[in-house]
Amino acid sequence: MLKIEHLKKTYPKSDRLAVNDISFELNPGEIFGFLGQNGAGKSTTIKCLTGILPFDGGTIEICGHDIAKDPIAAKMEMGYVPDNHSVYEKLTGREYVNYVADLYKVSLEDRNARLEHYLDLFRLRFAVDRQIKAYSHGMKQKICIIAALIHEPKLWVLDEPMMGLDPQSTAEIIAHMREHCRKGNTVFFSSHNLDLVKKLCDRVAIINDGQLIDMFDLKNNEANKANLEERFFKITGTYEKRLFEDYVAQESADMRPDLPVDEEPAAVTEE
Amino acid sequence: MKRTISWQSVLTLFRLDLRSRKDVAGELSKKDKGMKVMNVVFGVIVYALLVVGIYFLSRMFVVRDQMRIEFLTIATLLTMGISTVVAIGNVVKNLYMNGDNELLLRFPVNGTEILIAKSIYCALHNFVVSCLLTLPFYVVFGVITKAGVGYYFASILIMLFSTMLPFFVANLVAIPVMRIVNVIKNQFLLVLALIIVAICGCFIFYMTALSSILEYLADNNVNLFDDPVIRERVVNFAHNCYPFNWYAYLLNGKAQAGLTSKDLGLAFLYLFLINAGLGVGAFFVTTKFYYGTILKGIETEKESMIKRNAKNRKRSVFGTLLNREFFLIFRSFNYSFQYLAMACAAPVMVYYCNALASAMGTKSVGSSIVPGLTLLVVVIFVTIIVSFASTSISREGMVFYHTKVIPVSYTNQILTKLFLYGIVGTISVALCCITVGAAFGTEAGGNLLTPLDVGMIFIICELTVLAQTCLSVWADIKSPTFNVAGDGELVAANKNVALALFIGIFTAVIYGVFAMVFSFNGLAIGKLVINMQPAEVYGVLIGVSAALLIASACLFFINLEKRYQKIVP
Repeated sequence: MLKIEHLKKTYPKSDRLAVNDISFELNPGEIFGFLGQNGAGKSTTIKCLTGILPFDGGTIEICGHDIAKDPIAAKMEMGYVPDNHSVYEKLTGREYVNYVADLYKVSLEDRNARLEHYLDLFRLRFAVDRQIKAYSHGMKQKICIIAALIHEPKLWVLDEPMMGLDPQSTAEIIAHMREHCRKGNTVFFSSHNLDLVKKLCDRVAIINDGQLIDMFDLKNNEANKANLEERFFKITGTYEKRLFEDYVAQESADMRPDLPVDEEPAAVTEE
Repeated sequence: MKRTISWQSVLTLFRLDLRSRKDVAGELSKKDKGMKVMNVVFGVIVYALLVVGIYFLSRMFVVRDQMRIEFLTIATLLTMGISTVVAIGNVVKNLYMNGDNELLLRFPVNGTEILIAKSIYCALHNFVVSCLLTLPFYVVFGVITKAGVGYYFASILIMLFSTMLPFFVANLVAIPVMRIVNVIKNQFLLVLALIIVAICGCFIFYMTALSSILEYLADNNVNLFDDPVIRERVVNFAHNCYPFNWYAYLLNGKAQAGLTSKDLGLAFLYLFLINAGLGVGAFFVTTKFYYGTILKGIETEKESMIKRNAKNRKRSVFGTLLNREFFLIFRSFNYSFQYLAMACAAPVMVYYCNALASAMGTKSVGSSIVPGLTLLVVVIFVTIIVSFASTSISREGMVFYHTKVIPVSYTNQILTKLFLYGIVGTISVALCCITVGAAFGTEAGGNLLTPLDVGMIFIICELTVLAQTCLSVWADIKSPTFNVAGDGELVAANKNVALALFIGIFTAVIYGVFAMVFSFNGLAIGKLVINMQPAEVYGVLIGVSAALLIASACLFFINLEKRYQKIVP
């Protein structure tokens, strides 16, 4: 579905490799989490694979199409939700979704059906014919998601998708990610939220200082799920025993006097 | 509990306001400083030209027509009128529409303190604008009439006195203006129509005044008010033009209009009462409604257009890109003004400019100059319109990433933009040519232009439009400036606009001068004299324009995909 080999990227006027020889492959039907600190190279990798940034070395293939050699075919298979939720604010939500649907050549029947479904799913029907400039942060995020999904992409790429969303919308997006993957599609997303990644992802990769340090399964692997935080903190160089224990303690029920003793916090609840 | 006003808070807010407007010198690069100096020099030149214009206008009224009080009355009306319009804009912008209201209300200050702090700035701004407008009229009048020192002292007092009225009126009018702006802000077509009417109205007024001055300069024997009926109307108007004539009486009524001290005292009393009444009214209205209005403004800031009964619609890729590009311009006040309104108003502006230039040129060198002048004028206005294309990539702003993500080649995306700018430019050129053809190519217009002239001017301008559009978009791809704010609109025009304007005006001057020179005796270089028939002149210019179009198209298309891919937002 997505194959990245030896990806290298240096920004102009910088001698530092923002992405240094990253390689991994995503399979159909999986949710893949991409973790790393701020500035680790997550967004740069995503921007390279979506075609936003040119890269200096390596190859990126989306559904067998090389993004550098056959960008139109590669982009046709992909839906992208950016981290800053930037959209054409002068357009209405419906105009924006129709604009994107036109670009991906979605038939009128399909777009009618899908838009109706997503408007109900994300409870955005009341605002769809208003200009996007009137939307809240979360509403902009939702219209970005709808526009990214209107052509049913095989690869759905999201850059920190849950930022600024209310819990209900977050739950709906999670449910929809799973639904999207059940159809044989792939979801690739970056996040800072380790609990979300633990709950949602089949596999995860951790990137640090532009290099891919670790990649492992989470699906059906309770050990990996249990020590995700530890591995993340170690890799990103922020590991200190005390820090890690504090983190775990915060998530632990007996250290949270505000929670009933018999209730486990959601963060440590295993699926 | 009613809180008293803290003057310390007012002072702090006022200082904060001043600091937020001030450029931090340390952050300015040498280039920015240079630009700032250039802006100041440009401003001084424009102001000097204004003063020169006022001087000649004053001479017409005062020396030739002996209408001194009338001149002072009309000058006061004009300056106070402009000051009032500027003050309304300033008060609306600073008191009600400034985005800092929400921020300031979070501080432990009340609405009245914010109002007073901002009003101090508005009053100072109004004072400076009024003085800059009024001073040249009063000083020039004094110089021309050889007035004594007493006149200049009086003029300073009257000038200070006259700055109050526009400010009070602006405060009274600002709230209704705000309400109207809120009502029409999403009526894009209405806003565009109003902008076009305003541009055309101001331009016609300006060109008519300029034409009168130039006519006077060209023929010093011409008396502006030769017709006694017109003269009587002007005198009657000035004498009934309350309260502006009272300012004129206070300034020079005793000497020029034979008024007694009692008349002047009454004029001062009336003015004082009007100012006091308006001032008190403005104070009570503003303090009563200010807080509520800014709260309402914060609440409704994000109110937007709602499309009723909208349905999904399928378009071609080209159609949807074109549709998006057009609506992003049409639904923006700034872009509508810069582009669509200018394109629509261009025929009117070209007509007035051409009429004036042709009249002056015909008088001085003959009617053969008209086709060349027309070409010059049309290319200049077309350049102004086409320069908008030089922000076509920059205007994508924060959404630039989207152009990289969508499955449409960069070439096709940019060609759509090129198509829109080309079509708008072509329509504007066609309308300009039809207008000048109808105005100057007929019997009534003096047959100054032949159908050949109009047709050839259209072809040359059209080729120039396309070449300039290619160059403008090329320049923006080369170095876009994604400096956006608010709804994603460009904060300021970037350097590409200046480049596009420079190239366009340079081309216009070269084309115009070439056509004008060869319309007479040809060009003599030493013993070599080059003569050309009009068709040959046009042939050369069409050849040059076509060559420029080919060159700019090559520059535009070569490596377009690679160059676009390199742009990093």
